[in-house]
Amino acid sequence: MKTILEIENLRKYYGKQGSQTKALDGITLQVMEGEFLGIMGSSGSGKSTLLNCIATVIQPDSGRIRMKGREIQSLKGKKLAQYRGREIGYLFQNFELIDNLTGRENIMLPMSLHNISDQESRERIEKLASYFEITEVLEKFPAQMSGGQKQRIAAARALIMNPGIILADEPTGALDSRNGKILMKKLAGLNQDENATILMVTHDTNAASYCKRILFIQDGEIFHELRRDVPEETQQDFYKRILKVMAQLGGGSANVL
Amino acid sequence: MFFELIRRNSRRSRKENGLFFAMLLIAIIAFYIILSLSRQDIMLFLREMESDAVNRLLSLIPVFYVMTLVILFFLIYFASKYQLERRRHEFGMYLMMGMTRNRLFLLLLAEDVGSSLVALLIGLPAGVLLSEVISLVTARLAGLGIIGHQFTLSLQAVLLTAAGFFAIKFAAFLILSAKISRQEIGSLLAERPEEIPVQLSPGAYGLAFFGGLFCLGTAYYLAVRGTAWREIPVMGLTLLLGLSGTFLVFYGLRFVFELIIRSKRGDRRLYVFNMRQLQENVIRRSGAMAVSSLLILGALCCFGAGASMAAYYGQSEEHVLDYTFMPEETEVQEENPEQEAWKVLDTLNDKGLSGEFSQLFEMKIGHIRTTEEYEDVFTMDEIMDRVRSLPDSEDKDVLLNNLEYADYPHLIALSSYNQLLSAAGLPRLELGEKEGAVYMDPEFVTDGRIKIMDEILAERPKTELDGDPVWLTGDLQTTAVVTDQSITLSFALILPDETFAHYTRNQYDVYINGILKSSGSGSASLLERISEMNHRLDDTGLNYESYLQNMGRQLFYIAAASYLTIYLAIIFIIVANTVIGVQFLMNQQKANRRYKTLIRLGAVYETLRGSADKQINWYFGIPVLAAAVSSLFGVRALFSGLLSSRTQGSVKELMVISAAMILVLCVVEYIYMTAVKRSSSRYLLTLMEPEREE
Repeated sequence: MKTILEIENLRKYYGKQGSQTKALDGITLQVMEGEFLGIMGSSGSGKSTLLNCIATVIQPDSGRIRMKGREIQSLKGKKLAQYRGREIGYLFQNFELIDNLTGRENIMLPMSLHNISDQESRERIEKLASYFEITEVLEKFPAQMSGGQKQRIAAARALIMNPGIILADEPTGALDSRNGKILMKKLAGLNQDENATILMVTHDTNAASYCKRILFIQDGEIFHELRRDVPEETQQDFYKRILKVMAQLGGGSANVL
Repeated sequence: MFFELIRRNSRRSRKENGLFFAMLLIAIIAFYIILSLSRQDIMLFLREMESDAVNRLLSLIPVFYVMTLVILFFLIYFASKYQLERRRHEFGMYLMMGMTRNRLFLLLLAEDVGSSLVALLIGLPAGVLLSEVISLVTARLAGLGIIGHQFTLSLQAVLLTAAGFFAIKFAAFLILSAKISRQEIGSLLAERPEEIPVQLSPGAYGLAFFGGLFCLGTAYYLAVRGTAWREIPVMGLTLLLGLSGTFLVFYGLRFVFELIIRSKRGDRRLYVFNMRQLQENVIRRSGAMAVSSLLILGALCCFGAGASMAAYYGQSEEHVLDYTFMPEETEVQEENPEQEAWKVLDTLNDKGLSGEFSQLFEMKIGHIRTTEEYEDVFTMDEIMDRVRSLPDSEDKDVLLNNLEYADYPHLIALSSYNQLLSAAGLPRLELGEKEGAVYMDPEFVTDGRIKIMDEILAERPKTELDGDPVWLTGDLQTTAVVTDQSITLSFALILPDETFAHYTRNQYDVYINGILKSSGSGSASLLERISEMNHRLDDTGLNYESYLQNMGRQLFYIAAASYLTIYLAIIFIIVANTVIGVQFLMNQQKANRRYKTLIRLGAVYETLRGSADKQINWYFGIPVLAAAVSSLFGVRALFSGLLSSRTQGSVKELMVISAAMILVLCVVEYIYMTAVKRSSSRYLLTLMEPEREE
């Protein structure tokens, strides 16, 4: 298996000396191609900062992020935009759909940003739409869609450019449990059938149970890792294992190990 | 602390709303200039000559003042409303922290007064300065000389400007702050979702758009054909059609955008996003856009009409004569009309004034006295037939009309006319015994009419004067026989002296024309020398007219037309552009979430700026384009309705001038758009920055 994403000793501190918050304190991890990796942690643990660093929304203080072997901190201008548009697909907690564009137009947006001819994309949109079951809302505006439909439109948008990795930031955070399940099934299906690489930040245990591997972060450090034994372990069993770790979270690493 | 807060807040709002602040400044400057109009050199000068007309013009100024106040009130109300809306959350915070509503009101009032004072402190001196510059420049252009110029500060204008400005600002402020202070803290703190207007079916919008186009087309047709000017109801209908057409077109514009978005198969460089943004703005603000477009149309019409009228009246006719001394209006006709002329010359000699003239010569003009008839004494059927056979044109109609009345023309003696020609540096006119030439006053001819007449006269047409044949020859003569208006001739015959003497029975009027010596001292302009000479001539009791009257009238028309129309045009332009610009920037700030999403999807600053610039082009372009199209018809309609028949011949030239003015206005729009683009880019840059730092 090929490594897609390598993160080495990543640090990001907020505030001045004395009253410093260590959002990320020397995190090192790798994401393999075709992996479905979950990152869990309580709020303020630094998981969103990690995702934002990978998405180049935040500049880390030190450390290295390599995507397919290429260091991303040094990217500038066009190359940076290329990276954001083509290498990663971002799925937001609150969908971030543009409310005056139709579903189809929202999905097309990344192509419009990167001046890609739309012939091939047309077919791809149809395929994605039928996979995510949003064909009938493609011509509707976000205000006319349900939360689940919005997030699936957003997922189609994240995938339209065929990115190397999908970064999902609490994708089920704004959905009810039924819609959350539908979305997670679709994402897991993508991972299984299309070998899509997904990195998901969440504190929803149910959503996390769809992952193959989960990293727990606390105070800017990785303090635990869980692997699902596929295919022996059922999702239900994995869910219980995650719950156990979650129950110990907050007590620090001493309680877990 | 309270005062520090006031100071900081008002400085911040000046910075954030630079466009609005600049508009306030221009408004103040415009106020002062129009109010101090009576103190301008050129107006002081004209007042001596055309006092009635000038006073009438000046009496109009309060009307303009009040009208401008009303227009600016709405603008200030509208712009301030947006500014206060943006700060709702801030006001809620002040109240949460325990500020009383009275104190909040005082805070806002103090901020408002503060920024108004700053605007006045900058605007008034700028207004005074600009008014002086305009006064000097116009006086210089008119040849008044600037030696007599005195710095004038019209205190009344300053006070009225300040009072009017404060009044509208305060009124707008009271209404707005009353609305704000009545609201609950909770609703101030909460982000107010933008209400989505009720959507009709797309067909309804399509219908509105095409219906609007139809209304506009009908209005254009009525206006250009001149039908609109005949009756007030038709005029009302034209205006109603034009207004409702504009509103309907803008209301239905969302339909057009929908079509554009649907028809475009590709989506590059945020094309669909831009269109959707525009569509949303059009949906939310179609009324305001229509009003802006109408205001720009008003400005274009004012500019176009004003400039072309000024240019028309300002056309310096070839001016040869400086003075004309007229015969005394006596009951008893002198036996020898020459005696009148000698009297004038004697008087000038006695007063030592004849030395001032380089030339003094007679102009003999008389009536046909060989018959008792006053009708059909002169017939020119050949010429009339030729004119009638011409293809239809305005020039043809006017000529026919003028010629029909020329059956008892004035006669001019050839020798005196030749003297005029040589004074003008033109070749002498040679006429045979039975020949005559045609004279028309320059104000009755256009290039088109001269061409028609010259072609006909080249054929040496035969006419009949009191039963005798006279062959007309030579070119049409249009060198003015007197300096101004002591006699106006739409058609006269120039005859050899013997024939002239025969037909007039030696009873005719003698006008003495004078040309001043070219200036000895050098610096004094012609206008000044004529003014000075007039003072001296007033003591002689002579009946005279000078080129000054002629020039004064021209100057007055230029000044009146250009001042008032340009003033109005500036006000309209300011209001329209500020509305469009402020609206765009406000909408952009409301859409900040969308821009942030685009950034997350990988949009770089250049992409966003390009997208915003494109939106600005469209957002300004649509109302401006609509206004420009309408203005072509509007200015044309103004000409067909307002200009007298004699100026109609030159409508084409005037249209060219108007088109040039419209072009100038487009440049103004371009500058405005650039300013808005800069402000929008600055805003987008702020969206890019904090995201990276967090």
